[in-house]
Amino acid sequence: MSDTLQTLKKIIAEKLDRDPESISPENTMEDIGLDSLDTFDVIFRAEEEFNIKVTDYQAELKTLQDVVNLIDQLIKEQHPTT
Amino acid sequence: MRRIVITGMGIVSPLGNTPEIFFANLMAGKSGVRRLQSDFTDRLDVKIAAQADFDPLQHFNKNKTSMLDRVSQFALYSANQALADAQLDLAQVDKSRVGVYLGTGMAGAASIEEGYVRLYRDNLDRLKPFTVLMAMNSAASSQIALEHGLSGPNLTYCTACSSSNVAIGEAYRQIRHGYADVMLAGGSEALLTYGTIRAWEALRTLAKEDPNDPGASCKPFSLDRSGLVLGEGAAIVVLEELESAQARGAKIYAELTGYGSCNDSGHITSPTVEGQAMSMRAALASSPLKPEDIGYINAHGTATVMNDAVETAAIKSVFGEHAPKIPISSTKSMHGHLMGAAGAVEFVATLKALEQQAVPPTTNLHNPDPKCDLDYVPNQGRTGVTLRHAMSNSFAFGGTGGVLIASKI
Repeated sequence: MSDTLQTLKKIIAEKLDRDPESISPENTMEDIGLDSLDTFDVIFRAEEEFNIKVTDYQAELKTLQDVVNLIDQLIKEQHPTT
Repeated sequence: MRRIVITGMGIVSPLGNTPEIFFANLMAGKSGVRRLQSDFTDRLDVKIAAQADFDPLQHFNKNKTSMLDRVSQFALYSANQALADAQLDLAQVDKSRVGVYLGTGMAGAASIEEGYVRLYRDNLDRLKPFTVLMAMNSAASSQIALEHGLSGPNLTYCTACSSSNVAIGEAYRQIRHGYADVMLAGGSEALLTYGTIRAWEALRTLAKEDPNDPGASCKPFSLDRSGLVLGEGAAIVVLEELESAQARGAKIYAELTGYGSCNDSGHITSPTVEGQAMSMRAALASSPLKPEDIGYINAHGTATVMNDAVETAAIKSVFGEHAPKIPISSTKSMHGHLMGAAGAVEFVATLKALEQQAVPPTTNLHNPDPKCDLDYVPNQGRTGVTLRHAMSNSFAFGGTGGVLIASKI
């Protein structure tokens, strides 16, 4: 399992006060219990964690895997050597 | 004209988080003023404050807590308490006729300051996504409406120290004039942040710490008074129309019989005798009462040199020969000055005084100022009094006064 997914699960679990293992990448953000504002908050926390900047919120972030893909993409673009 | 009664109360205060505990502590003369518990206290010149003992995680889940500024946490908790106390079944009422009016001075001060710390101290370039929603002045009243689906009028009043008396008074008018049937009204304040306290220090209106007893630092009407002590908390009351309250068998604390608000338009900080008197006269004029009917006044009584002498003269001007016969207390001597929540917290004290037929004291009053020569109930509360009508005063920087009158039914 990717580091990004693990970290996002940890962030969400911490935010919602629940077991990270109860969250899986196929879940929609809505199923997890996160509305659009909550999703912004998760992304904000991920930005700090991965030292990236999300400038484009246009991407459709339906499932947790969508968020993982976005973060991975940004890490690749913004930290190409790591 | 519709008559408006109070059927529920909720509070978060430096003297306890239920109206019963709060009032018992006032009657016992206890102080909520102490050394500020914070990681910046050492850097302050004035290190005392009146903090509320409130752990949000005992009342809200972690996610919700992280999205509410402390000012909204206080307000939401107080509103829930007041609704439960009123035993109002919201499923049985038209929620488009239920509104929320709150007062606040600094609203989400901590959220604004946290943002500035990130930007200007830590040189970060991103803020939490909820910053606007936590900091905006209307956050607390909006959160209450959201929580309970209340779609009636929802407004936030910012008139500094009189904000919550104005909110309660304006809410009373909403019901009186037929725009709503039930209103949750009060105020909330959570301004004990480093920047806000520093700003108050700069204004030189904060009390010096009493070297023998920090809890005795706020000394209203005393010759050695040196200013106010900042406090935090909230209070919210449920207002409803008398006949519908009676029809549903509600417990009625009191009737809200008068409200007046004027601006003394003289100076940004210095109150005027005529300005304060105008608000008291306006409250009396809106009620069926005469000045001699008033049996207790919860004074604004900030313990600033200026206010207490001016308020004494204003009370004399309004009440004439009756003035020396009225027990008057500044409960700020015990709970500090809650700014935008001050009026609401003191209105709860006034309602409990009517309910319990007991008058709370002005503490730390051992050396009365000759310019403050009325009955300020020094140091010892009075029980077993006969009390029918009571007034609660709030005046403010900027000049807007708000005066409420409550009557036993």
